[in-house]
Amino acid sequence: MAQATSLAPGKSPLVEPAAQSRAPARRSGGLRNIGRTWPVLVLFLPPAILLFTLFVILPIGEAGWYSLFDWSGYGRPDEFIGLKNFELLWRSGAFRTALTNNGLIIVISLALQLPLALWLATLVSHRIPGATVFRLIFFLPYVLADVAAGLIWRFIYDGDYGLVASIASLLGFETPYVLADRTIAIYAVLAVIVWKYFGFHMMLFIAGLQSIDKSLYEAADIDGATGWQKFTNVTLPLLSPTIRLSVFFAVVGSLQLFDMIMPLTGGGPSNSTQTMVTFLYTYGITRMKVGFGSAIGVVLFVICVTLAFGYRRIFMKND
Amino acid sequence: MARIALQSVRKSFGYHPVLHGVSIDIEDGEFVILVGPSGCGKSTLLRMIAGLEEVTAGDIRIGDRVVNDLAPKERDIAMVFQNYALYPHMTVAENMAFSLKLAGAPKAEKDAAVGRAAEILGLAPLLGRYPKELSGGQRQRVAMGRAIVRDPSVFLFDEPLSNLDAKLRVQMRGEIKSLHQRLKTTMVYVTHDQIEAMTMADRIVVMNGGRVEQIGRPLDLYETPANLFVASFIGSPSMNLIEGEVARGDGRPLFRTTDGLALPLPDGTNAAPGRRLVYGVRPEHVAPAAEADADATATIELVEPTGAETQVQMRLGEHLATGTFRDWPIGRPGERIGLRLQRDKIHLFDQETGERLDAARPRTAGAAGRAA
Ligand SMILES: Nc1ncnc2c1ncn2[C@@H]1O[C@H](COP(=O)(O)OP(=O)(O)OP(=O)(O)O)[C@@H](O)[C@H]1O
Ligand SMILES: [Mg+2]
Repeated sequence: MAQATSLAPGKSPLVEPAAQSRAPARRSGGLRNIGRTWPVLVLFLPPAILLFTLFVILPIGEAGWYSLFDWSGYGRPDEFIGLKNFELLWRSGAFRTALTNNGLIIVISLALQLPLALWLATLVSHRIPGATVFRLIFFLPYVLADVAAGLIWRFIYDGDYGLVASIASLLGFETPYVLADRTIAIYAVLAVIVWKYFGFHMMLFIAGLQSIDKSLYEAADIDGATGWQKFTNVTLPLLSPTIRLSVFFAVVGSLQLFDMIMPLTGGGPSNSTQTMVTFLYTYGITRMKVGFGSAIGVVLFVICVTLAFGYRRIFMKND
Repeated sequence: MARIALQSVRKSFGYHPVLHGVSIDIEDGEFVILVGPSGCGKSTLLRMIAGLEEVTAGDIRIGDRVVNDLAPKERDIAMVFQNYALYPHMTVAENMAFSLKLAGAPKAEKDAAVGRAAEILGLAPLLGRYPKELSGGQRQRVAMGRAIVRDPSVFLFDEPLSNLDAKLRVQMRGEIKSLHQRLKTTMVYVTHDQIEAMTMADRIVVMNGGRVEQIGRPLDLYETPANLFVASFIGSPSMNLIEGEVARGDGRPLFRTTDGLALPLPDGTNAAPGRRLVYGVRPEHVAPAAEADADATATIELVEPTGAETQVQMRLGEHLATGTFRDWPIGRPGERIGLRLQRDKIHLFDQETGERLDAARPRTAGAAGRAA
């Protein structure tokens, strides 16, 4: 399990604080400045580099090294197999499902969850009585531990005793075994994901909305804007830094999705709800193929870093 | 262009009344300034004219329409906000053209309108910039430009100059005034700065605590304030006000205070002896005088030369009084000075009601000679 943590993909944002702490030193480069900045460099750079090396570079390097072995995690890795693990991975149908699922989660997050969160945020960001209550209610799922949420929804979806079953039978439908059906289980999972995380994005949006100067809306009223025109011409452009941040979190979060899936479906039925991390856990850790798991970790890391840095570079350069 | 008529307009926020029946008639093309202390309801009234606040009771007419229930955009008005409220993500040109863009105007029309406004305000070189790249004065001008582009029949301004430094404020004061002369559009302007009001307005509405205290041309307010509030609010430094009562002097009535001060009443004062009054005289109507001509003698406390004139704080009996003197070798603090009050510039107010005593109006002085 210790290996799994060091391989965990979502740690890529961690890279940035260290990188940023060095940036000012570089920027304020000029010769005259060096006299004043070198104590700062000496004081702050070594710990940053040390921590960065210890907790980021080393584990990744280690994972990269293990990925070249067929290794169970016990004893020394001695069966060198080159890139065989990566080849296996590439041919695995379950991994492709996991990749597709992660893609689907991102798409649903962007196409459904964020618009929903934005819409609710515009509704509850007004200072009307009761708004705070709704804000809290909508935020509750996010506060819940991922594992707990997974468990709760497992019961809700339960075909024999669950809420969904009761409602279905009340309406006279055949009780569906949602999580047992290969074709619909992933949609059930997606619903839980949206339910679990929209509150977080809604909170981000509320903060963003409240930082917009109210008099801009009054000016727009006088300029003759309709509600929709105010939304597209004032709200959206001024909220765009928040939206970009929100999209960033949604993408990174979906790549890390694990805790909630395990109690909910465990990746099944027949791997139909695997994500990259549950796939890593199932095939790498529980089956004691640490070499293979490391290869998954490396792929995951590359995907994460590419997405995260690419995104920041393209969309968030002015934030 | 349009007239504006406010009829017994009231406003409450929840159960908290803010405006208690305000009636004002504003002529077509007039420049009217609402002035009053902070919290008196000026902005609220202006925002009600704009349609940004609902009317609790009463009628607001713009032109010949009652606009109470019309949305801001249907009222044919433009507003300049205190913080300018420029759209930060739009350039100056886009800010100014926004209303036309919303209305779906063709590009040529937008360009023409923006060009015209930019020329009036000298904004042409700034059209491609964003608000954050402008100085306060430039932003202010863009906000006015945005209003001009709409070509409204009424301009509304809410303390548009209060974020500017003193020098720029004087300059923009002139620009807004000349803008009004050029466009000849009805303008309603809110400020708490009485100097701004005095220098710019055709007429001033003095408000206090959600009520109108007086409406009039700047000089009317200065010369004949209708009550104590207006008397002390208009004019800088403000009017000297002293409480006391009418007393029988030798031959003609006098104004006497409890600390033994006796001041002359204007000719034809219509007040019975014993009536409790507030005696008012502006600092600029107090002059140093030789002992023989003096109405009163004071002790100098503070001398503040401002260049053209000198402001002198004096102790008059137990009262503090201010005088604005032009050219006189004024004494030093601690010295005694004789004062002569300009008779036709004395204001009398009832102590109970604060209302002006009609007979004390300089214009009607001498009309009623019941001095017994
Ligand atoms: N949205 C609101 N809700 C409740 N009370 C309000 C609201 N807006 C204004 N008030 C109250 O109404 C009164 C008048 O406010 P208003 O803003 O009109 O004052 P003002 O004359 O413009 O003052 P200032 O010179 O400080 O701008 C104040 O007592 C204020 O507290
Ligand atoms: Mg105000």
